[in-house]
Amino acid sequence: MEDLGFILATYIVTFGSVAAFALAIVRRGRRLAAQLPAKDKPWT
Amino acid sequence: MATPDIETSATAASTRAGTGTTFTRFVGLATIVGMIALGVFGLLLSPADVQQSDSVRILYIHVGTVWIAYVAFAVTALSSAAYLWKRTTSLTWDRLAGASAEIGVLFMALTLLAGSLWGRLSWGKFWVWDARVTSTAFMFVTYVGYLAVRGLGGSHQQRARRSAVVALLAVLEIPLVHFSVKLWRGLHQDSSVADRTHVNLHGLMLFSLFISLIAFTLLYVWLLMHRQRVLAMQDAIDNTGLDYALQQRRDEGDL
Repeated sequence: MEDLGFILATYIVTFGSVAAFALAIVRRGRRLAAQLPAKDKPWT
Repeated sequence: MATPDIETSATAASTRAGTGTTFTRFVGLATIVGMIALGVFGLLLSPADVQQSDSVRILYIHVGTVWIAYVAFAVTALSSAAYLWKRTTSLTWDRLAGASAEIGVLFMALTLLAGSLWGRLSWGKFWVWDARVTSTAFMFVTYVGYLAVRGLGGSHQQRARRSAVVALLAVLEIPLVHFSVKLWRGLHQDSSVADRTHVNLHGLMLFSLFISLIAFTLLYVWLLMHRQRVLAMQDAIDNTGLDYALQQRRDEGDL
């Protein structure tokens, strides 16, 4: 495969950035959920 | 005696759940499957292009991310309009707008990055001052500004009002960016998938792009639900803090 470094960099940076963003949201959500009663979390 | 145990375990489960539900877990699982499929088809199964060779594999990411950025900014605008509409001034619309804009900014940054790497292979440069590239960068900066406006002080309603106005102005850039390749002939290629007369992609290449759009759309839905709930909890905590401060002032007045 030609230009493998550029192609892999695109996929790794994209998937890595999205995974890091998703993880940050989930962790923040769990931290905030622990501070609030169930009435403030209508989805639970 | 059993009741407190049940309540304790229910509270613990609620805390563990965070922003997740059965539906978000289902969407999350479908997203992971879609992303794995995108990696397999985009990197391994899809053939190299006659003109672009293997660099076409970058487009499966580039087109998918810019699609989500457009959708996210459009959702931000629609939610902002819904908030400003007299009968629906609910902060839920504002939080939906803010969550969607954050996701859009992330995906717009990834679009610029993937485009830059693809440009290095196709044009020999990481960056050119082409109409599409420049207008995309301008849109990215605009939405970073939108997020900065959301971070200014004031009440939640003030935040919602001023950011909604900015969102309704910023969304006008989407058609400008999209049609920039037709308005100003530059280096950036025209439509990659199809134009008015014929389809440009076929077979596994078209299928890989289709998987990319599905996988990134699922990812957007998952991120939006979680981020919007995080913002809702943040607002609730802000309100609790305000209530506490007001109560302290009242207590001071009583003394």
